[in-house]
This record gives sequence, C-alpha cells and structure tokens, in this order.
Amino acid sequence: MGGELKYEIGQNAYIKLVLHALKHKTSSVNGILIGRIGKDDVIEISDSIPLSHSQIGLLPALELALIQIEEHYGSQGMSVVGYYHGNERYDDVELGNVAKRIGDQIHKYFPQAVVILLDNKKLEALPKGKGLSPVVKFYTKDASKTWRQGGGSDGGGRLTIREPSSNIVLLDCISSEKWQEVVDFDDHLDDISKDWLNPGLFK
Amino acid sequence: MVGATEEVELNRLESQVDNGGGGDWKYLCLVRKLKVRRSDKVLKHGLSILNDSKKRSKLGGEEWTLYEQVAIAAMDCQRTDIAMDCVKVLQKKFPESLRVGRLEGMLVEAKGSYEDADNIYEGLLEDNPLDQVIHKRRIAMSKAQGNISEAITRLNKYLEISVVSVSDLWQIMMPGENLLKSMFHYKCEIPVKFHEYKQAAFCYEELILCQPTVPLYHLAYADVLYTIGGLENLQNAKKYYTSTIDLTGGKNIRALYGICLSSSAIGQLTKGRNKEEKEGTELQSLAATALEKDYKKRSSNKLPLLTATLKNLKL
Repeated sequence: MGGELKYEIGQNAYIKLVLHALKHKTSSVNGILIGRIGKDDVIEISDSIPLSHSQIGLLPALELALIQIEEHYGSQGMSVVGYYHGNERYDDVELGNVAKRIGDQIHKYFPQAVVILLDNKKLEALPKGKGLSPVVKFYTKDASKTWRQGGGSDGGGRLTIREPSSNIVLLDCISSEKWQEVVDFDDHLDDISKDWLNPGLFK
Repeated sequence: MVGATEEVELNRLESQVDNGGGGDWKYLCLVRKLKVRRSDKVLKHGLSILNDSKKRSKLGGEEWTLYEQVAIAAMDCQRTDIAMDCVKVLQKKFPESLRVGRLEGMLVEAKGSYEDADNIYEGLLEDNPLDQVIHKRRIAMSKAQGNISEAITRLNKYLEISVVSVSDLWQIMMPGENLLKSMFHYKCEIPVKFHEYKQAAFCYEELILCQPTVPLYHLAYADVLYTIGGLENLQNAKKYYTSTIDLTGGKNIRALYGICLSSSAIGQLTKGRNKEEKEGTELQSLAATALEKDYKKRSSNKLPLLTATLKNLKL
C-alpha cells in the first residue's frame, strides 16, 4: 500500500459531500464514499452518502447505514471505499479520532480505503481562484498502519476529480443554495420519508 | 427544541418574508421566541427594518431588541462591521448596561480576539458573578478554540454556580431547570467527541434522573451504552430503547432500530445460552413489524432495504 494509490472522485459525489457540510455549518458532518476499483487500479469514487450531522461518535446509526448502503450498492457491483468528514470548527484542519476510527473499520474490509477531510480554507478560496483540485485533504493508511495525508511531494497517492469543471459547478450549487436539499441518514431516521440517496439532487 | 407545527409556521413566514409578502417583524419575533438560528435571514430582514426610519420608529421600545438581534446575527454571518454599528447605537442608548456589555464581548469574540473577549467577560463577571450568559460564552469560547478540557472545567464551574444560585428555588419551581439540563446535555456531547463514552453515559444517567420522561435522554443513553458494548451494556441499551418506545408511543424509528440492533448483538454474544433470549426475539420481531408497517406507509421505496437490514440482523 505505498504512495502510488490513485483516487478519482466523480463530480456528484464530490459536490454532494461539500454541500452536506455547508448545510450543517455549525456541526461536524460525515458520510461514506462508494465506488470500485477501475482501470489501472484507479479507485473510482462514484457516489457519496451523507450520514450524520450530530452525535457522530455513536455506533447504532453508523451500523444501520452501513448495512443499508452495502445492501443497496452491492447489487450494483460497488462497495464502500472510504469515508468523509467535515470538522465542527472552521479552523480545525486535523483529522480527528472519530474519523480515524471509522476509517479503521472501513480499512478492514477495503485495504485501499481513503478518508477525505473537507478543507474549509480551500473552500473559502474557491470563488477567488480557478483551482481545479478538490477542496479536501485525503488520507490513506501507510505501512505502519497510521493515517497519512496524501498528495504531498513525498507521495501518498493522488486524488483528482473526474470532471475538470466540477469546482465551477460546485460554486453554482452553493450560490443557488442547493445545500438545503441534501438529506442525510440522520434526517431519514428522524423522518423516514426523506431519502438519504438524494435521488433528485442533481436533476 | 422546536415543535413540528411551530417549524411549519416559521418556514411559512420565512418564505412569505423572502418573497416580499410582509410580516417581517412577526418573523423576527418568532425567530427570537423559538430561539432558532437563521442568522442570514435575520440579518437581511432585520437590517432592512433598521435602515427604514419609518418602520423602525413604529417598533417603539422594541427597536433596541431588534438592534441586539441583528447584531448577533451579523456576528454569526461574519459581518462584524454591521454588528459594530448596532452595538455602538446600543452603547449610546444604554451606557453601563450589562446586556450591551455582553454584546461587546461577543463582538470582540467574533473578530477572533479571544483573549480580549475573555478580559471583557471577566470584567463583567466581577460585578455579576452569576451571569449565566457570560459563563456560557466562556465555555463556548474554550470550545471554539479547540480547548475541550478547559471547556469542561468551565462547564463544571458553571454547573456549581447555577446549582448554588437556584438551590432555593430548586424545590419549588426549578426555574433554572431547563438551562441546567441543557448544560448537562452539552456536557454529554463533549466527551462523546473524546470517546469518553463512560463519562457521557454517566451524564445521561443524571439527566434521566432529573427528567425521567424525556425520551431523547433515554434514546441517547441507549445509544451510548450500545456504543460501549459488552453484554451488560447491550442489555441495558435494549431496556432504554424499550422505554424510549414506551415514552413515544412507538413512534421513534431510532429506538425501533435500536431494539433490532441490540437484540442481534446480544444474540451474537450469548449464542442461545441465555434464557431470556426467547423473550428478546419476541421484542425484536415486534419492533421489526412496527418498522415494516411504518416504511410501507411512509417510505415504500426503501422497504426492500429495510427488509434486507432486518434479515441481516436476525442471523
């Protein structure tokens, strides 16, 4: 599991996780990344499932969500390939213990698992620049079994967005307040008529 | 917490105001009454009243309440320039006021100068050592700086002070009760982030003792116990999921799922050695039936997923 891991995240998966964090500005958020191993061993992240915006460290809702997600995506030949997290505080750019521990669990079943952490500073700078890179940091497990940030000069893998115009679309979604429509698994447990698959979000 | 009917009314008013249909002041009052955080809207609509001298003077004495409300909303939206204008107006009108003093502290806080803000708060506490808002601000400030241990220390100090200050009234009406409870609840949440689940469990025990009929506490306690794991905790978790169902008339989805999860986990640990197991599976199938009924009615497209989940948990 060296530094050569490549991840490619789809536009919808990427935008959805950022919008989820924007919807809950005052709390931590988390979710699951879905995908498969594609050509040339690139790990393709094709969807993201928003899980929670409160009491993130508790197991019951997480276990339920994982069972249902695996059930739903298993039949489509996809599986859980990673985890995403947005910290509660704006200026907190560290990967916390809860995120690491959930990442550990996913890593057990999918050794190339990736953990994505939303980077508020990059997100804030987005309207000013024309950056094509995702506004997140990402972490993979290194040989010593600790989570190490990737994408640096010393390797640690690479994370790209599949569609190059994603950040422009993202800015559009932000200004039209599309984040209000994002439903997470927490919302579903409060009102089961809300669909955590967010089928209408990008239509 | 905001009730469902109140939220519907709030959202209706909000879209009415957003579309220029009037009712601005009524909306702002409702936001205050329900203590909800809609800062961007409050800033926009509150400011438009403040900038219109005719509308503003109609408010009479309430004008100052609106300045305060807009100031706080502006801080939340990082418009410290607007907040500063509001605070200045209030300082002129009410020099020496504690309430305006707090706003000043919050403004400095919003600008990120935590040390200066703390000095302002400490100055105010000298004259008003029991001011609950200031104590809460200082706790929030520690948390904002990521200093969780300081937040907990301040929280404990605050709890001591508030218990002392309301102890006489405690036996009669418990006016500080809700505040106290919410602080305890807050205390539960901090350790959860630190994986200090046992401490969190203890806090929820206290809360249940104080207010035995709040289903939210039963549910949260059960979730914490389930997370800690082990046979005894799982059995207790199941009991508290059951009491949550009891207190909500079977309407709480999380508790119904909780029964299924904890039963399944207990079953895995005991593997049929337990005598109570029979009774346990009965409860589990009751919860499963209730879930299926609810999903059929309100979320039929997710019914296959629910069925698969329940099957997965039966083992």
